[in-house]
Amino acid sequence: MNADNPQITFLEECRELLVEMEEALLSLENNPSDADMINAVFRAIHTIKGSGGVFGFDDVVDFTHVVENVLDKVRSGDIAATSDLISDLLLSRDHVTLLVEEAVGVGKELNDKERQQGSEILDRMRVLLNQGSAPKTASAPTGAEQPATPIPEKAADGVVSGNWHISLRFGLDVLRNGMDPMAFVSYLKNYGDIVFIKTLIHAIPPAKEMDPESCYLGFEIDLKSDTGRETIENVFEFVREDCAIRILAPHCSLDEYKKLIEGLGEGEVTLGEMLIKGGALTRDELGQILHTQPEDDDVEEFDDEHQLEGALAEESSADSNTANVASSKTEATRGRKAAEHKTIRVDAEKLDILINLVGEMVIAGAGTRLLAHRTGETALVESMSMMSRLVEEIRDSTLRLRMVQISGTFNRFNRVVRDISRGLGKEVKLEISGGETELDKTVVEKIGDPLMHLVRNALDHGIETADERIAQGKPASGCLKLNAYHDSGSIVIEISDDGRGLDRDKILAKAVERGIVEPDQAVTDQEICRYIFEAGFSTAAEVTNVSGRGVGMDVVKENIEALRGTVDVRTQPGQGTTMIIRLPLTLAIIDGFLVGVGGTSYIIPLDMVVECLELKELEDQDLVQGSYINLRGEALPYLRLGEVFGERGDGHTRENVVIVRVGEVKAGLVVDELLGEFQTVIKPLGKIFQHLRSISGSTILGSGEVAVILDVPGLVEQAAAGGFKQTRVGHSTKRGPESSTTIH
Amino acid sequence: MANKTIMIVDDSASLRQVVGIALKGAGYDVVEACDGKDALNKLDGQKVHLIISDVNMPNMDGITFVKEMKQLPKYKFTPVIMLTTESGDSKLQEGKAAGAKAWVVKPFKPDQMLQAVSKLVM
Amino acid sequence: MEIKESPPGTLQLIGEATIYTAAELKLGLLTQLSRHDQLVVDLSEVSEIDSAGMQLLILLKREANEKGKVLKLSGHSSATKELFELYDITALFGNFSDSSHPADGSATS
Repeated sequence: MNADNPQITFLEECRELLVEMEEALLSLENNPSDADMINAVFRAIHTIKGSGGVFGFDDVVDFTHVVENVLDKVRSGDIAATSDLISDLLLSRDHVTLLVEEAVGVGKELNDKERQQGSEILDRMRVLLNQGSAPKTASAPTGAEQPATPIPEKAADGVVSGNWHISLRFGLDVLRNGMDPMAFVSYLKNYGDIVFIKTLIHAIPPAKEMDPESCYLGFEIDLKSDTGRETIENVFEFVREDCAIRILAPHCSLDEYKKLIEGLGEGEVTLGEMLIKGGALTRDELGQILHTQPEDDDVEEFDDEHQLEGALAEESSADSNTANVASSKTEATRGRKAAEHKTIRVDAEKLDILINLVGEMVIAGAGTRLLAHRTGETALVESMSMMSRLVEEIRDSTLRLRMVQISGTFNRFNRVVRDISRGLGKEVKLEISGGETELDKTVVEKIGDPLMHLVRNALDHGIETADERIAQGKPASGCLKLNAYHDSGSIVIEISDDGRGLDRDKILAKAVERGIVEPDQAVTDQEICRYIFEAGFSTAAEVTNVSGRGVGMDVVKENIEALRGTVDVRTQPGQGTTMIIRLPLTLAIIDGFLVGVGGTSYIIPLDMVVECLELKELEDQDLVQGSYINLRGEALPYLRLGEVFGERGDGHTRENVVIVRVGEVKAGLVVDELLGEFQTVIKPLGKIFQHLRSISGSTILGSGEVAVILDVPGLVEQAAAGGFKQTRVGHSTKRGPESSTTIH
Repeated sequence: MANKTIMIVDDSASLRQVVGIALKGAGYDVVEACDGKDALNKLDGQKVHLIISDVNMPNMDGITFVKEMKQLPKYKFTPVIMLTTESGDSKLQEGKAAGAKAWVVKPFKPDQMLQAVSKLVM
Repeated sequence: MEIKESPPGTLQLIGEATIYTAAELKLGLLTQLSRHDQLVVDLSEVSEIDSAGMQLLILLKREANEKGKVLKLSGHSSATKELFELYDITALFGNFSDSSHPADGSATS
């Protein structure tokens, strides 16, 4: 939550609600009578309207008001959730997004076209409302309706007093109901001066009978105020049913005071004296009233009290009846309450700071551990390793704080697939699985665009039209699957379609045309598939407005690689295509494997390391052949990191091969030294290094020196391509002579 | 007199925030809860003088909440303002029957809420 | 709510005198009144008071008057003072005959 700016909270909240609303609407499309979904849509709009109102965002309120009314009728079954209505509700959802963004000031102002669209949606909704059932007449706020009594001008026989006179007799239950006369009386002061107040206590029964929780109070109040009757009546709106209220206007007719005195039947003399004391009546005026008072007032007084009690008793029994009905109703609804889901909102920035600090702690911890080792004191070393374990746990828990389920991202595609496939005239069903798979929020935020592109591509190029599909004996409706799962420290996201698959020949022809391969060059299917990620590579026969014109796959690949991820393609002609994205769970910290090459330290993400072998042994067994290593019958390409980075080997060290794996592809990296596992906090690379293919980041070792994190996917690709290409890095990352050999 | 404490129960964080700012500005202490369950938990262990509660909330709706709250000896007489809607007359009656005798119609301006509140606590 | 007698003849009310404590307060006050002919109720430690609490003080005063006993209030806390002023009932505890109650007391003030 943003503690400073409620508008930002509002914006975030609306975005979440609108996502929920969209999901609910899409699910309604398949199951139009799902009451829970209708409620979810209603609740979203209702909440946005309510919160928008507090901010005074009238455009938002006015729009959502109509939509809410429609949804209310859908809820009650008066209006059916047709697919037309759902389409309109989806549109109105989009429009609310615009309105909210405009109101909060993060979006642009709506243009005429958008306003037009908004009012068109409303027009259609109003038509529905009028058809659904008789339109409800002006819905005045409940409880505010008043007998519209105009303030009378000074009547001919009006009293002298220019003050309002308010006579109150509170019911027995007001205190138990949480209403305290003192708050209402005090509130009156907002509208004027209480020039006189008499607290009436005669109704308090003898001590024995007095219920300490009942209210026995009455008041005669004279208020000097310019306000109207309605305002004063509204002060008491919450106790209207629980309090006898009589309000007499300034200069009202003497007759009204007469009725007041008679009606209260509390002994006219005392009451009359009270009115004189407060200035409501002059002695003359009281004299006139008393003169015409009926003789048998004592009897009436008694009757009145009985009538009042009778009325109260009736009222309260009616009350308990409604209470019974109400409670059985809520019993029924209580059963289907959503599972409890307790969360706290935390500013993402605060989490980032925490994660950064934990990162620093990891580094500091490694440094301390190094120092502890040097002392050779067992107790200290042991205690340090305990610390390290705890730090590791803190690191894991902290990172988990920022983990979110991918379902949010996936579910957005319900709408996308629906809209795009409709636009293309194709029938496509979206299947989502693994939505509960978690990954770092920062990764989630960045994966949306690449995913969107791949989905669009699949819909546009992958899945055929219904006619084509039927001709090939496939079901008319295509299927797009989004799947996610965890695999050895990575998250894997698959986008698969059951469409026509990649056209091997077309891609190859295009690759030749663009000079990527020689016409007679032998290439594997796997290689051909990779060509689609080359810049400006598109085989789409015609350019559609869905998946663009060949700008795309290369950008997708770049985006994914920027996340230290990889993207792979698997395709079967006529059967479909699967895009496999592999991403690290987090960008902040990795478990690294530290290696040394010619005096510099390098880090290989540990989850990519398969095994380490001594190069000499392999050579002795004659398993190094050309640019390949024969590993148990598997030919793996390898690279000498020394050559890649232009480092000279020490000559005397025994070189090692680290076998790494990226997705399905394995390769060997030849290094001088194996320095062991190392927890690594990734620091962003400076701008000058960003273009380097072989480096993905840097970090600081416990000893304070810098180490580079290798871009393993990039290196593996280089190895597969038959050796390193252009990139040579200078000695920008020299490490000290003996430094971190003891880090384990 | 010590500040009176007001609890606001609504699933909209922004609404709670705005109303909270208004109430604090008027000199009240404010406790926020996001639904009925949360509110019941938070009522325990402090003194709340007035509760503002929405009707439509996940986990536990406002009506159920008021009923349960009215069972608590510490809160059975504490006033409740229900947040109702124009069309929610039946909910208003349900709320009243449950023990929420005051109400404010949504959407409302912070000022309207302040007015309703000061009719109930001094 | 705590009712403490100190010194003898003076009741100190400590805490809130509201509907939540009203039953307890009623019992405590009336019991104490039955034991004394003169009683001072010290309100300086009343943190919170509402109409229920105030009604009880009025009841107590009336009971005292009816039984010919003397009841005085002392040391209004800010909470009680505010309510007494709002209801304009300070005089009630000075001279009960000023009230509208039919049983005109002749209490000493």
